[in-house]
Amino acid sequence: MRVALFVPCYIDQFYPQVAVASLELLEKLGCEVTVPSAQTCCGQPMANSGFASSTAGCDTNFAQNFEGFDYIVGPSGSCILHLKEHHPSEKIRTSVYEICEFLTDVLKVSSLHASFPHRVGLHQSCHGQRGLRLSSMSERNEKPFSKLEDLLRLVEGIQITKPERSDECCGFGGTFCITEEAVSVKMGQDRIKEHTANEVEYVVGADSSCLMHLEGILRRQGSSVQVKHIIEILNHE
Amino acid sequence: MVQKTMSARNQILAKMESCEDVKHPGAFLGASEDFDFRASLEVVGARVLTVEELEIEFPGRRRYDKTMDGLSLAEVEVLEIDGEFGVAENGAIWLTEEALPHRVAPFICQHLVINVSKILPHMHAAYAALNKPNGSFGLFLAGPSKTADIEQSLVIGAHGARSLTVVIRT
Amino acid sequence: MSSHAEASEKFIADAARTDWHDETLWFVRAKRDKASKVLPEWEALREHASQIKDHTLANLGEYLQAFEAKAQANGIQVHWASDAAEHNAIVHGIIASQESKVLVKSKSMLTEECHLNDYLAKKGIEVVDTDLGERIVQFRKEPPSHIVLPAIHLKKEDVGETFHQHLGTPKGNKDPQFLTEAARQHLRGHFLASEVAITGVNFAVAETGEFVVCTNEGNADMGAHLAKIHIACMGIEKIIPKREDLAIFLRLLARSATGQLITTYSSHFHQPREGQQMHIVLLDNGRTRQLADPKYKNSLKCIRCAACFNTCPVYRRSGGHSYHQPVAGPIGSILAPNIDKKANADLPFASTLCGSCSNVCPVKINIHEQLWFWRQDLMAAGLAPASKKIGMQFMAFVLAHPVIYRLGGSLLRRFASLLNNRLNPWYKQREMPVAPKESFQEWYKKR
Repeated sequence: MRVALFVPCYIDQFYPQVAVASLELLEKLGCEVTVPSAQTCCGQPMANSGFASSTAGCDTNFAQNFEGFDYIVGPSGSCILHLKEHHPSEKIRTSVYEICEFLTDVLKVSSLHASFPHRVGLHQSCHGQRGLRLSSMSERNEKPFSKLEDLLRLVEGIQITKPERSDECCGFGGTFCITEEAVSVKMGQDRIKEHTANEVEYVVGADSSCLMHLEGILRRQGSSVQVKHIIEILNHE
Repeated sequence: MVQKTMSARNQILAKMESCEDVKHPGAFLGASEDFDFRASLEVVGARVLTVEELEIEFPGRRRYDKTMDGLSLAEVEVLEIDGEFGVAENGAIWLTEEALPHRVAPFICQHLVINVSKILPHMHAAYAALNKPNGSFGLFLAGPSKTADIEQSLVIGAHGARSLTVVIRT
Repeated sequence: MSSHAEASEKFIADAARTDWHDETLWFVRAKRDKASKVLPEWEALREHASQIKDHTLANLGEYLQAFEAKAQANGIQVHWASDAAEHNAIVHGIIASQESKVLVKSKSMLTEECHLNDYLAKKGIEVVDTDLGERIVQFRKEPPSHIVLPAIHLKKEDVGETFHQHLGTPKGNKDPQFLTEAARQHLRGHFLASEVAITGVNFAVAETGEFVVCTNEGNADMGAHLAKIHIACMGIEKIIPKREDLAIFLRLLARSATGQLITTYSSHFHQPREGQQMHIVLLDNGRTRQLADPKYKNSLKCIRCAACFNTCPVYRRSGGHSYHQPVAGPIGSILAPNIDKKANADLPFASTLCGSCSNVCPVKINIHEQLWFWRQDLMAAGLAPASKKIGMQFMAFVLAHPVIYRLGGSLLRRFASLLNNRLNPWYKQREMPVAPKESFQEWYKKR
C-alpha cells in the first residue's frame, strides 16, 4: 500500500522520534512510505488564531507535496482534523488519516510485535477524540469504544490506566497556551494530578502538542513521569 | 410610544425571511415507557402517603375553596388540592387553574398535599392528554420548592411549599 | 475592563478556590451525565429538539406573528422592542402607569442583557431579584457568574456575611438551610407587597399563545400570581411551534442544566388572572442580525441551560466574571461578539476548541465551530493587535516556503535555550521542549 507520511511541523522540529516511529511502524506493516521533503505545516496555527485567510501559501505547499496519494498519514489528530475540515482540495480532505485511525480502519491491525512493560496513563486528545472519533466521548450517551486502547492492548506487558476525567482537555489549545497561559497551565496541572494519582510511569497520547505541554509541566515539577506518543509504544520492541 | 413599538414590530419582522426547506420533525417517537411514579416522586423530594396516613399526618389541612383570595392563602399551613394526572418519568403533577383556589395556592401555602388518580408514563403522553381546549393557567409541579444556590447545598423549601405529600388514589 | 486572560489569571491566583469552583461545576456536569444516560433516547431527543429549533428559526417571522395573535386573543398585551433601550422604556412605561416603586423580578438573563435594574433604579424604581442566587449577588452589587447558578462563585461563608450585612442574620452563620429560610421570610414580604412582577420566559408556544416559566424555587409564580401587573420579557428566539414540542424541551432542560428530572415548577401562562394585566415584551437586540448569518444562526437555538458552562474546562477555571458581560461560558462567547465585536473580541479565544460544549448542548449548537468562525470574523474586522497580525503574516510566509521553514527550524532549535527566560510566556510555568540535534527531515535525508 502506498502511503505518504505527513510530518507535523513541531514533530519535525522537536519530536522527530515520533515521525521515525511512524515511518518504521508503517513499513513494518507492509506499507511503501514516501516522505515528501518539502512539506512544512498543515496551517492550523494560523487558522485557529483567526487567520485562515492567510493559509493559502501553506495549503498550496501541502497540496503540491502530497499530490497523487490516496493515503496521507500523520501522527497528529489536531493537524489531520484541521486538514479534513479546512483544506481547499477535496482530494486532500478525503485522503488524510490520523495514524491510529489508519492502523485501525484501513490496515485493520490485529496484532503487533511490540512490548512495553510499563504503567501508562491514557490522555485523550480532544481533536482526535471529538473530531476524528478515535474514541467515544464521555458527554454522549453512546456505546464506549476506543481505537487508542484497542491498539495499546496489542502491546505486550503494558498496563493502561485512565484519569478520573477521562476526556477533559489538557489546556494546550494552540496559541491559547500562550495567550491564556494561566488557564492553560492550570488545566495541564489538573490532568497531571489525575495521572499521578494513578502512579503512571508515562502519559500516552496521540497528539504531541498535548504531550509537549504536559511534559513541560511535568519537567518543571521535577516529576519522573514521562510522556510518549502512542506510536512510539506501538513500535516499541 | 405606540407608533414606535409598531415600527419596532415591522422592523423586526422585515428582517426575517421564511425558509420552507427546514421541516418540523413531527412527533417524537421512541420514548421510554418504564418509569415508576413513586420512585420519581422520591427523587424530586415528594413523599407518598395513603389516605389513612394523610388523616393522621394533616388532620387540620384545608381543602381548596374558590372563595379564598391570594393573600389569605398566605396563612394556610397545609393545603390539599387535586392534580389532574401524574407523570411517571419525573414525578411531576399537572395542576389546572380550575383545581386551584387561586393560582398562587400551591406556592404560598407552607405544606402541600395533592391527590392524584391518573398516571401517564412521560411528558409526550402528558402533552397529548393536554391537547384539549386550552385552560387559562396550568403547571407541572414536581416536589416541594427547593434551591441549591448556596454552595450547591440542597435546601428544601425555598419560596414555594416546604413539603409535598402525594396521595395516589386509584 | 479586563480581558478574559487578565481576569482569569487573577482568578487562578487563588489555586485552592479555583479547584473548588472547578470541582463544584464538574459535579453538576457529572449529574447531567447521569441523568442523560438513564434515557436510551437521549441523543434522539437532542436531535429532535435541534430540528424543531432549526425549523422554527427558518420560519421565525411567521411563528412570532402566530404567537402574537393567539396571545392577544387570550388577553395578553404584546410589545416589540428593537433594542435594549426600547425594551427598558416599554417596561418602564407599563410600570409607570401605576404607583409601585418596588417590584419583584425572577430570573431573566434578558433583563441582565438590557441592564433593566439599573435603568429602573435611575427612574426611582427598585427591582428586587427574587431568585435566591440573584438576590445574593444583588446585595453584593455583582453580576451573576452563571446563568442558572448565579452565585456559584460564592462560598457559604460569603453568603453568610452578605446576609449578616443585609438581612441581619447572625455573624458567622453559614448554614445554607438557615440562610435560605432567612431569604424566604425576607422575600415573602416582597411577594405579598408587590404589585408588579417581572419574569423571564423559557418557552413561548406559537400554536397556543402561551408561555412557560420554569423555576425550582417558585419565585416567578409567587411574584406573578399576586401582582396586578405581570411583565414577561422574552428574546424572539424563545418561540417554539407547538405545545407538544414542550415535551421534548422540558425533558431536556433540567437534565442538561442540573441533572434534575424536571424543575419543580413549569408554569404555563395562558391568560391573565382575572383583573390582572399580563404583558409580554419581545426583544430583538441583535438577534435578527445573528439570525441572518448562516454561521451563527444556530446560536439562537439556545435554551439557556448552561450545560456548556459546566463542561467547559476554561469556564470552570476562570469563573463567569472573567467573561465581562452577562452571559458567560461558551454560549456567551458566541453571542456576545454579535452585540459588541470590539469589547468581546477576546471571548472566542478563551477556548481550546475542545468541543465538549457542543456535545452537551441539548439542542446541538455547534458552539466550538462558531468559536472558530468568530475568530476569523474578528481578525478580518481588524481587531487583532498589531503584533499578532505581524506574527501571523511572518508564520504564513515561513510555512509557505520550505527552505526558509527548514532554516528557521534549525535556527530555532540551535538557539532554543535563549527562550528559557521570563519574557517567554511558555517558560513561566513550563520547561521548553528539548531541542533535538536533527529534525526528522534531516534524519530522513541521511537514511
